[in-house]
Amino acid sequence: MEGPSSRPAATAGRRDSSGEGEDPARDTKTHFRVCRFIMETGMKLGMRSVPMATACVLYYRFFDRVSMRAYEPYLVAMSAIYLAGKVEEQHIRTRDIINVSHRYFNSGSSPLECNKEFWELRDSVVQCELLILRQLNFHVSFEHPHKYLLHYLLSVRSLVNRHAWSRTPVAETSWALLQDCYHGAMCIRHAPQHIAIATLYLALNSYGLEPPDGERAWWQVLCDNVTQEDIDAVISDLLHLYDMEAKCI
Amino acid sequence: QGGGGGCWSRSQPHWFHTLQTRRLRVYRGRSNSDPLGGADDEQAFTWKAGLQFGAAQSYLSLEKLGEGAFASVYKGISRINGQLVALKVIRMKTEEGVPFTAIREASLLKRLKHANIVLLHDIVHTRETLTLVFEYVQTDLAQYLAQHPGGLRSHNVRLFMFQLLRGLCYIHSRRILHRDLKPQNLLISYLGELKLADFGLARSKSIPSQSFSSEVVTLWYRPPDVLLGSTDYSTALDIWGAGCVLVEMLQGAPAFPGVSDEFEQLQKIWAVLGVPSERSWPGVSLLPNYRIEWFLPSEPKSFRTVWKRLAQLPCKTEDLVQRMLKLVPADRISAEESLQHPYFSTLPLPIMHLRDNVSIFKVPGVRLETEVKDIFTPARRVKPSLLDAMKRS
Repeated sequence: MEGPSSRPAATAGRRDSSGEGEDPARDTKTHFRVCRFIMETGMKLGMRSVPMATACVLYYRFFDRVSMRAYEPYLVAMSAIYLAGKVEEQHIRTRDIINVSHRYFNSGSSPLECNKEFWELRDSVVQCELLILRQLNFHVSFEHPHKYLLHYLLSVRSLVNRHAWSRTPVAETSWALLQDCYHGAMCIRHAPQHIAIATLYLALNSYGLEPPDGERAWWQVLCDNVTQEDIDAVISDLLHLYDMEAKCI
Repeated sequence: QGGGGGCWSRSQPHWFHTLQTRRLRVYRGRSNSDPLGGADDEQAFTWKAGLQFGAAQSYLSLEKLGEGAFASVYKGISRINGQLVALKVIRMKTEEGVPFTAIREASLLKRLKHANIVLLHDIVHTRETLTLVFEYVQTDLAQYLAQHPGGLRSHNVRLFMFQLLRGLCYIHSRRILHRDLKPQNLLISYLGELKLADFGLARSKSIPSQSFSSEVVTLWYRPPDVLLGSTDYSTALDIWGAGCVLVEMLQGAPAFPGVSDEFEQLQKIWAVLGVPSERSWPGVSLLPNYRIEWFLPSEPKSFRTVWKRLAQLPCKTEDLVQRMLKLVPADRISAEESLQHPYFSTLPLPIMHLRDNVSIFKVPGVRLETEVKDIFTPARRVKPSLLDAMKRS
């Protein structure tokens, strides 16, 4: 769990250097923290996995197009949550997003009063939603790896030893790995099928489970166009994110 | 509370103002469109220099066509290329931002390019409104049915149905459900081209266990599983609606009409298809709104005795209706299979192999027949010369 104290540090670091050009390493860290914010806020708001994934993808696609220096990432994140709720039909009220976010940054404080500041903040969230829509040209409904992973899990379960399967939490682990992919821009860099295969591959490997290979490897049977390089690339990106977690906290 | 980092506190209120003050004070609308998608560029002559896609002044609204909860629809004309357009002007409520139906309609339609799906030309935003610019289509199936009471000619029903299923096949293969099929949402051009419209309630399917809101389909066209509260519906939802539309085109009256709530709607359906049991429909008693008192005994009837028009037509018509209107969603025919059904075997073969964006009326010999009513009141007919002109364009 990230404490509220990390937020001022992140802001300070960003503000100090404003106008000094891009720093990809620091930007990656900021994005990591903001996505952590999206997920924690999303959890508290009761968002399901897919809307949360949509919120993260909206966030990354937005900052794929505009500079981080031009817009406040946490505001974009709040609007991404709001917009994702609309796109995925799990509507979330702006006031809930604002209250939960307020609590995230100022833990233990009382909710915001319904004063001018609150209304201005809400207007900002709503306006920023329109900005995201414009930047993304209304391309806001995405295909996610979740359904593929579910499908692959069901297929692989029938291939491996029943006892080995019941002893190991492959499904839970691969699902958790999948969620973690959304901490980085890797979630928009790889095909959804590839992410799903790679997280399952990593989960199976970590528990020493090996589905029997026929003429082709099990993952080739499940997904035609994936190569060992694709899988390695996803896993390498994911492991990189876990390295970063240590640096960000 | 950390005073220094208080972006939420009074000391540094600037961060959430940035967007409003600097970025969104744009009075001119901005474009999100790829103008005409490149290929049609040769048609895009310019009426007035300097007019662009996405700009509000590029469109002139002519007359109001309709009014909805979130939006008004106008007939309009594009000042860029002189095309008629339908302008769906969505009012933005400041407290809730862009209505989710508009977001979904725009984001889904942007991905769809098909002769039987209404074309989204452009998106214009100004400060208070968001306008979706669609191709203009003259009428819709509800109006067409009203103008030709007593049912349509079977040849025309076949052409409309083929186009409806072709459109459904296209969106279903892209994992999109329409969810609100009804004659009002099926646009009909003078030529007889049918186009699926109103994707406000459409959604892309995601993981299979995902549940959707059950308040989505107009009652008459709603399948029994959804009436019973099922939320894990899939493409079979649209097939039921399409089956109802098929019966309505033949009969000239809705298949299961005129009732006020789910209970009565289900009785209408049971009256034709018979009441299901756990044996004929495993799992029916587990659906959320299942009530034993809703399952009054009723025997299935043959469709041709209920819908008389079916008795006058070859039995493959009735067969297709039967395959679409199945109580158990998994038993319903898919859009893709239905296009191969013998009902369509009398259509010229090339119609089965058209590219997505090619209308079936480009196939030689495919044309709408004059409806019986129009033979007796020829004033209402469209001049053949006009038809030819449209066909050439």
